Amino acid sequence: MTATAAVDQARPGLARGVRLGLRARVTVGFGLLALALSAGLAGASWFLVSGYLLEQKEAVSVVQTSLSVEALELALSSDPGDIPASIDATPVNDRTSALLDYQGSWYTSSLTAGPHVLPTELVAMVGHGSAATQRILMGGQPYLVVGTPMATRGDSYYELFSLAELDRTDRTLSVVLVLAACVAAGLGLLLGRLASGRVLRPLAELNSAAAGVARGDLSIRLAAEQDPDVGELAASFNRTTAALERRVAADARFAADVSHELRTPLTTMLNSMAVLENREAELPESVLGPLHTLSDELQRFRRLVVDLLEISRDDVPARAEDMDEVAIGDVVRAAADGATGRNVTRVAGDVDGLRVPGDKRRLERIIVDLVENAELHGGGCERVDVRRGASHVLVTVDDAGPGIPAGNRDRVFERFAREPGSASDGSGLGLAIVSRHVRWHGGDVSLGERPGGGTRIVVRLPLRRQVTA
Amino acid sequence: MLLVEDDVRLRRMLRLALEDEGYRVSEAGTGRDGLENLRRQPHDVVLLDLMLPDLDGYDVCRELRRGSGIPIIIVSAKADSHDVVAGLEAGADDYMTKPLVAKELSARIRALLRRTDPSKATAPRTVALGDLQVSFDDWTVSRDGHRIALTHTEFRLLAELVLAEGAVLSREQLLERIWGYGYFGDDRIVDVHVHRLRTKIERDPANPRLVATVRGLGYRVAT
Repeated sequence: MTATAAVDQARPGLARGVRLGLRARVTVGFGLLALALSAGLAGASWFLVSGYLLEQKEAVSVVQTSLSVEALELALSSDPGDIPASIDATPVNDRTSALLDYQGSWYTSSLTAGPHVLPTELVAMVGHGSAATQRILMGGQPYLVVGTPMATRGDSYYELFSLAELDRTDRTLSVVLVLAACVAAGLGLLLGRLASGRVLRPLAELNSAAAGVARGDLSIRLAAEQDPDVGELAASFNRTTAALERRVAADARFAADVSHELRTPLTTMLNSMAVLENREAELPESVLGPLHTLSDELQRFRRLVVDLLEISRDDVPARAEDMDEVAIGDVVRAAADGATGRNVTRVAGDVDGLRVPGDKRRLERIIVDLVENAELHGGGCERVDVRRGASHVLVTVDDAGPGIPAGNRDRVFERFAREPGSASDGSGLGLAIVSRHVRWHGGDVSLGERPGGGTRIVVRLPLRRQVTA
Repeated sequence: MLLVEDDVRLRRMLRLALEDEGYRVSEAGTGRDGLENLRRQPHDVVLLDLMLPDLDGYDVCRELRRGSGIPIIIVSAKADSHDVVAGLEAGADDYMTKPLVAKELSARIRALLRRTDPSKATAPRTVALGDLQVSFDDWTVSRDGHRIALTHTEFRLLAELVLAEGAVLSREQLLERIWGYGYFGDDRIVDVHVHRLRTKIERDPANPRLVATVRGLGYRVAT
């Protein structure tokens, strides 16, 4: 049973964890959009720039190679014997090596770059008489090969240009572009967060206002919004809350009116009963039983009418002018000892003479109701302690009863909450009034277990006046 | 005593119950009837409902206070704070809310009708307070030979303070001694009465010199 409940409760939490909130979704959306845009732009720029650089490099290399071929042809025509010298005599450029296919033999200016590094398709193309370029990898490094057919038939000349620098430039460029894309995505996220925050601000305000209403503050209203989209939401929230507030006030007023209308006839009944009881000796014995029952019920009815009025007013939180500086130790002692007729109150030394903001009449109600409750339902009031906490005065009321099961503890402070089958003399409103009066003071009341059994009720009252908005 | 209450049944029953407590009770159903009755015959105390068909209870109270110091207890179904204060400010000595029984009323009446006297036989019968003469012989207060009209309860309040000889009396003490309430009586009864007393005996009620407030503790007379 308990386990099932725990699982049921866990599920919505889990779902909430997986599903992103509106704000997160808007933020992520902005981020992704920015990332996509900047990545696209970066990719395009990389493609264009690196293509352009390579094209430039190729063009320059082709021009340089053709200049070398002209010089080589000139050298070979004047001195056909010394071929390597002819190769060396070509103008210096930024080639790394040169290869010559001359009359069926290969000559090269470099030890490492032999004809085997040349792609066969390129050699074939150049052999057919058309100039060609190709990028190759040699020893892990990128090179550009430029091949040019020579004037003498069947001969061709090749130069190798290192592309390492271009490659470095390329890599630097891509790093810069990736960084730029990341920054853009980050900016997108930030923008998304700001924008969603701005858009969702009314929702956040609505949320905190709704939470306030749920806590019972029905006077909360949202500020009027200029924005027509949001304004309607705020206006309807305000209308709903106002209607709720009117409804609650009307309910309270009705209870107060009922209580008020009952007061005069009830006074008549009570005094009639008093007259009857004064003349008990003149009455036949057979009516005395019903008379006493009637008298007891009349007392209970009186209490109900008084409590009904007590609980139907005082809805407003405490205002400064209702608050007095009350000697809390004296008040609790007078109320608790008075209600029990015994000496049950222990006031801690540092509470002696301490004054707290409060209303004497309500504080009396709190203590008397708690103590009477302990006397009637809790096997008698064991003791009442008044101690001082960091920011509160703590009044503890212990009873000698069997205690209240944990599951029922919250219900105790509800109106007309009674233990099943108990024939109570109270109105059923006592602890509800306690809870209300404690809240009126800005304090709280909790119910727990006394060490050694029995119920312990702790009332916490603020030492200093609470500022209520 | 006079019982002014518009609800006939309640008036009859309360009268019966009060007579059982040993009082002689006259009835009046309206405010004017009540005032008329008081002119015709003397009473020791008036029990006054607030909601009356012609003059309301506040008006009756104010009308009575023009020339009479008779103890007035308002008995009303209205229990709101401002009703209580308005009733006291109109001149009532005490305010009780329905429902109540004759015995509870009787306790209040007995408390209000008590007289305060110096307990010690040697105590002076006339005490000076500033430029005031407080006489316990004929229960009067006068300044420069002119009598100041105080109600019964106002005189008792002044008398308690004077007899304390400058010691502070807490509101709880005053409530108990004059109104017969326990610790949890309504402090505002004391405050309103002190205010009324000051408007009568102080030269400048806004700057009281005779009856001083001791913040958080109570009241005392200047010595």
